Amino acid sequence: MRKTRTPKRVFMRFKDKRGGFLNFADYRNPANKVGYVFIIVILLFFCFVALFPIVFLFASSMKSVEEINSSTYTFWPQVWDWEKISRLWERFDFGRYYLNTLVYVVGAVVCAVVFNSLMAYGVAVIKPRGHKIINTLIFLGYMVPTILNIFPLLQEIRAFGFLDPDHQSYLTFLPLWLGFGANAYYYMLFRDYFSRLPKSLIEAAEMDGASQWQIFTRVILPLSRPIIGIVAIFSMTASYSDFLLPYCVLQSEKHQTIVVGIYNISNINPPLQTPDFLLLILLSIIPQIIIFLIFQRQIMNAGAGKGSKE
Amino acid sequence: MRQKVPHRKKSLKSRLKKNLFGWAFIIIPLILFGLYVWYPMGRNFVLSFQKDYFDSTFVGFDNYIAIFHDPVFAKALKNTFLYILWSLVIGYLVPVILGFLLSEVFHAKGAFRVILYLPCMISGIAVVFLFSTMYGDTSTDLFNVIGSWFGADTQPWKGNVHLIIPLIVLAMTWRGAGSTSLIYLSAFQSIDDTMYEAARMDGASVWQRFWRLTVPALKGTLLTLFVLQIISVFQVFYEPLVIGPKGGPLSSSMSLQLLSYLYAFEDFEHGKSAATAIILVLIIVVFTFLYRFVQMLLDPMRGKKGERRR
Repeated sequence: MRKTRTPKRVFMRFKDKRGGFLNFADYRNPANKVGYVFIIVILLFFCFVALFPIVFLFASSMKSVEEINSSTYTFWPQVWDWEKISRLWERFDFGRYYLNTLVYVVGAVVCAVVFNSLMAYGVAVIKPRGHKIINTLIFLGYMVPTILNIFPLLQEIRAFGFLDPDHQSYLTFLPLWLGFGANAYYYMLFRDYFSRLPKSLIEAAEMDGASQWQIFTRVILPLSRPIIGIVAIFSMTASYSDFLLPYCVLQSEKHQTIVVGIYNISNINPPLQTPDFLLLILLSIIPQIIIFLIFQRQIMNAGAGKGSKE
Repeated sequence: MRQKVPHRKKSLKSRLKKNLFGWAFIIIPLILFGLYVWYPMGRNFVLSFQKDYFDSTFVGFDNYIAIFHDPVFAKALKNTFLYILWSLVIGYLVPVILGFLLSEVFHAKGAFRVILYLPCMISGIAVVFLFSTMYGDTSTDLFNVIGSWFGADTQPWKGNVHLIIPLIVLAMTWRGAGSTSLIYLSAFQSIDDTMYEAARMDGASVWQRFWRLTVPALKGTLLTLFVLQIISVFQVFYEPLVIGPKGGPLSSSMSLQLLSYLYAFEDFEHGKSAATAIILVLIIVVFTFLYRFVQMLLDPMRGKKGERRR
């Protein structure tokens, strides 16, 4: 297969376009040039749709309470109520939400990477007796969303003594962290990656007398950085947005994550004024946007492979 | 072809060692999968034939019969198909269009990708709260403001039993379209350029090229994501919990998963909750096998695996 790449220029011209559905030859036809203008216009429209709710969230959250109750609507606030941020931050002690979410995300990423990779290496590379049954059982779990069986799962967590509202330590997060260690999708990502690694590497290491543990930590893991990165990204975004299980497990007020906190605040009585609540939502999504802007390349590459490789 | 190396019969000791090491890798993750996936699943299955979680009297199919007589369950089942229908109407083609446009645009491609992917980073709960405010019923809520430009009367968007599912799907599409479009983008980009070149030589019009080359080349991705989308729509849960709330007026946005949750946590009817979950599992399993079947049909290596191994 031949791929032709468009050269990179500061000002791209039609005659620079190589490959793809329309190339420089097609663009000699003025009708196609008009078509390209349409492509840009439609993309700009979708960008507007993608950004508009976020801008709306920002603009509305800065409005004062009087303004939201007035009968005339303006998109941007007439008075920017910046002091509201610190007022709400203190009222809900918002810093602890960020801290709790950080604790949850770090633990979840560690568990997701460590346990699923161990499982995948055991099943896909060492292949002890019974590995096929385990693989099938995990696929069964992949089909069934964990949330469906949440009631028995919660009873089980309670039986282990975890659903205690007076829990004082971060150990409350343990059942949530470990849950990420039993994720069929991450397991399958690791399994497919490990089984594609050249067998000769492992055989050579065995010849040299390395133990299985040494092969795993010194040979396999250093080669698996790409897949570790992908699983880390997936588990990071998943744990940050995770709602139902944390909502049920994190009983103590002190340990709630940001998503759980937002949901609980939405139910308080008397209800929060809309702009105030929107401001809390804005605060809750800012870390995600920052993380995205830092790791955009890695996140988008991981996301692109999601549907095609399963 | 490589000559097959005659397989050495491994000694009992080395086989024992392999099994032992293999299980040493697997054992901890295996326990986690047992605790988080298999036990709750099995317990839920048993529970669906019992009276209650705390009263394990065997009641046969009573729970299943009870939910089939529950009008809310019928409503949820019907809604599930409405969700699928609307998600196909609103959300299926948007990522395809975006993927195509992104593959063709050669100005500011990176910026377009980043902006279109941004909504995917925001946690689902924040998205539904944000859209829920937009759908509000006073004249200063966004949808009513936009409606008033076109002369529409102020109306309760979320309170309309016919509109609530499309509105929920709109929020889900806004969040999900960016990441799906990246999958289509890579599918469009992997189409062989020589094919387009040949068609150009033969004087095929742009239109013919699109319908005769691009669309057939994309058939696999289109089908795969079609089935995947249906599977994911079955798992709608917190969207109707928040926008609604709790299934909306007259259970107009109730989904099966939300119903299962409400049975267990609000009505304390654990048997009915488990039975609902089991039915949902059965539906998902059917669609997952459909998905595997579709993938098998599309696999270019189909039927050639045996030959390659020989």
